[in-house]
This record gives sequence, C-alpha cells and structure tokens, in this order.
Amino acid sequence: MNDARTTTDRRLTPDRSEAAFKHWLRRLVTGAAELKAFDAGEIDAVMDRDSGSAVLLPEAQSALNGTNRIVLSALDALPGEVCVIDSNGVVVMANKAWRVSGTAHARAGLDVRAGENIYAACRDVPESEREYAADMTEGLRQVLTRMRQSLTCRYVCHAPRPRRTCTFTIAAIAGDGPANAVITREWSDKPAIEPGGLPPKRSRNVEVERAGASNKLLSALPPREYSRFAGGLEQVTLTYGQVLYEPGEPMHEVYFPNDCLVSLLTLVEGHRALEVGLVGREGMIGARLALGAATSSVRALVQGTGTAMRMTSDRFLKEFRRSPALQRALFQFTDTLMIQISQTAACNRFHMVEARLARWLLMTAERMASPEFHLTHEFLADMLGVRREGVTVAASALQHRKLIHYRRGDITILDTPGLEAASCSCYRYVQAQAQAATS
Amino acid sequence: MADKRKKKSAGKDAVTVVVMRLYVAGRAPNSIKAIANLEAICRQHLKDGYKLEIVDVCEHPRRALDDGVLVTPSLAKLSPTPGANIIGNLGDTSSVLAALGLPTTGP
Repeated sequence: MNDARTTTDRRLTPDRSEAAFKHWLRRLVTGAAELKAFDAGEIDAVMDRDSGSAVLLPEAQSALNGTNRIVLSALDALPGEVCVIDSNGVVVMANKAWRVSGTAHARAGLDVRAGENIYAACRDVPESEREYAADMTEGLRQVLTRMRQSLTCRYVCHAPRPRRTCTFTIAAIAGDGPANAVITREWSDKPAIEPGGLPPKRSRNVEVERAGASNKLLSALPPREYSRFAGGLEQVTLTYGQVLYEPGEPMHEVYFPNDCLVSLLTLVEGHRALEVGLVGREGMIGARLALGAATSSVRALVQGTGTAMRMTSDRFLKEFRRSPALQRALFQFTDTLMIQISQTAACNRFHMVEARLARWLLMTAERMASPEFHLTHEFLADMLGVRREGVTVAASALQHRKLIHYRRGDITILDTPGLEAASCSCYRYVQAQAQAATS
Repeated sequence: MADKRKKKSAGKDAVTVVVMRLYVAGRAPNSIKAIANLEAICRQHLKDGYKLEIVDVCEHPRRALDDGVLVTPSLAKLSPTPGANIIGNLGDTSSVLAALGLPTTGP
C-alpha cells in the first residue's frame, strides 16, 4: 500500500485534479491511433506495464463506481456476512450483515470496515489473538498472491467475553491480475470455552481447500504431499480455442483444470477432428507422461474458458515418482478416462444424435460444475462428429421437451434427471464405472 | 461460460469466418459502446460468419499486456489475414469495416 507505484495510488484522488491525472495517464500511451482515440475521449483504460494492471480514466472509474454501488446493494441483501478486499488487503466493500454483526460483537473478530486494511487489523489484535491473526495473515497472503484459490481460517475472539469463535472463508476473485478476494465470516453460536472448562485443543487452523477444491486429483492428495506439490503449481487462465497439445508434439507442461473444460480430439487425415474424450476438474491434461510417453497422442483443445493449475512436466514427473497418493489418483483417473474414450467410440458409432447430445451436455455440466455454459452448434457438430443441421434438430428436440434452454449458443440445463433419461446408456455406464472406481 | 467472454458461432463456410478479440474495461462507457457498435456491425455485415471473444482487462490485465494491448477499448482482427487493430469505441462504422476488410456499402 505504501508503494507509490501501485494502481490504487494512481487513481484519481481529491488532491489530484482530473486534468492533471489524465495528462499523466496520456504519457503512458504510445502509438498514433491510441493517442488519437485518447484525445477523442474514446478510451476507458490504459495498460500499465509497471503495475501489470489497467489504469482507468476518471470517467470510466466513475461509471464503475456506479456499478460498485449496485454490487454493494446486492451484497447488502445477502443474509451472510461478506466483505471484499483488494490485492493490498484494503476492504473495498463490506455488506450490511458484516457491518451490523461487527457492531453487535463490539468489533471483535477482525472487524474491518470499508477503507481499512485487514493486514493492519491483524497486526493490531490483542496479544491473546495473535496466533489466530498470524494464521489469518498467512492465509490472506496465500490467496492474494494466488498460491491458493480459497481457504478457511478459524479465529477465536478473546474479548469481549465470553470468547466466541468465528470462521473466515477467503476466496480469490477470478482473473489473472493482482487478486482481489471475498471474505465471509460465520460466528459459532456457542462460546469457544465453556465456563470452567478447558480451552479447546487447537490444531493448525488454516485448512487449505487446494485451488478452490475444484480439481479433484489435487483434492485427493494428503495435506503434506499437496503442500510439496503446490510449490510447482501456477494458476493460469485457459481460453476457448487454445490448443494445449498437438498430436506427436512434446508435452512440456501438464494442467489440472479447476473450472475449464478441455477436449481431447483425434485427427484422421481428410476428416474433421473428432472428440474422443473430455476432461474437466475431475482430471488432468498430460496424464500420458506418467505412463512413460513424452509426446501427446491427441490434440488437447480448450472448449470452456476457465482456470487451471499448471506444472512443468519435469516437476510433475519428479512429484509423481515420490508420491504414492498421486500415483493412485492418477491411475484411477486414467482408467476412468480410458473407459470414457472407449465408450465414446462405441457411442459415436451406434447411438442417435439426440441421445449423444444429451450425454455430452451432461458431461460438460458435470465438469464445468454449472448447468449454464456456452457452446455453438458448429462446435457441438465437431464434438459429436455430425453435421450442424443434425445438432440443430437434436437441440430443438431437447428444448421442445423443456430439458434445456438454448439461445445463440448459451445453453442452460433445465431438467437434469430428464436429460439423463434422454441420454444414451453410455452416460450412465461411464458415470457408474467412475463411481465404482472411487468407492 | 462464467466469465465475461462470449463467442459467436461461425457459419458453415470456415473460410469467411472473421475471428476477432475485443479488449474492454468492465462496464465502462466506451467499452459498452464498443461492444454494442461491434455487435451491430457483425449482425449487419457478418451474419453468423464471425467469432468474437471479449476480454475484460480489469479481470485479465496480464492477458491484455501479453497481447500487446495499450489502451481499451481495442479490437484485434485475428483472421483472416491481414490482421488489424482498431482503437476506440468503434463508432465510426466505415473505418471498422475497412479495417476488417469488409465492403462499406452494406452486406
């Protein structure tokens, strides 16, 4: 926060005139077309390489502040206690429940208000709460530097009496710049220590949820192994259309999807690419490395934008050799993927387009952890290996039965059990096999 | 998808598909105008023959910096070649059409 080069400090402040700020900002702009648009008032933001962020012009800042007011109104309507902090730990907004509860608890439990810095609040806690505040500080640091997607911290307030416990959940807000985070606070109804009783035995209260607990392979690792593994992980955003591997080319990095979706496509000369597998948060891209291969056998194409954890292949192989838990999880995933691939091959040959489309939509929703996603007819035609018209007819039929809503590529699953009934047996078979493998 | 990106479907003829990426700053005024102007141009001149990705630089600044974007709104035409960059709120339709390599006298 004290760094004069941070974006926060570069925003318009009362002692800095709008004209002077815009003049200063214009100096960051290069290029004739960019300068012309800037002078014409057609620019909202200027990219600043030093801070790695976008610096908003006053008009844009003012418009977004209006949006913030709407967001705060929405947060105020929530019954839970919520606050939003920026990458420096400054509270951007705190909802009504948070503010009211803070007053009711005499501002115990790290009660910070808009404009205050939560790191500073952690430093200023009473001696008896130092240990909890230190864990909280470390947790915040990990989330705001994107080492962790989210985590929970238990915090025991010693004053005012009786002691009460609250649980903070800190979650990073998606994006690839400096992280902002949402913090929720829940109070336990019972005092932390019953009168005359012993203080509760305290374990390390930072419970890592491993990259939002989104990737199931990473979630399967024991805490100690995950801690070691996490040192080599880096969160990246994978975007629609991005090719991670091409057939026959070396796999330099592996990916553990959090909320993105990756298709495995096989290429046959003279034909369109055909999808043979779909990987989301349940697995990883590059599992073939563990089987001794160095190159990919398929094209790995990102079909749903989202985040993933990335690791270099060398580091992955090193960790794989020393982690029995990772080996077990990976072999299990590979087995499930092989079942999916073989069943998809049979499905493509024998089943009707409508049933295959239903299966594919269910698989996508499961991996994206959302009933809403964006897929075009052309893309679905590629994935199912049929003509675009065939997809149009099948999607219309599912929509007519009120199982899905489809408009301009935006798909919403309205009736999951109904869609399961409409899907071919392959969906249930693969799902059953996967469940059997994990049980 | 959950983020602010969206894609428009391409037509059957892959050769004529125009692939574009628009960098915006959230719901800021010029960014909203740029999205509206571009969608109108696409509706009128490209029908379904385009793919458009919208990148919010407030959420993904690193991506914009890596792509060499200096200011927003900024439209990058990625294919077919030659590529082009158009800066501003895309209010000048004829300039946008010219940069995209499209005829300026309607579809």
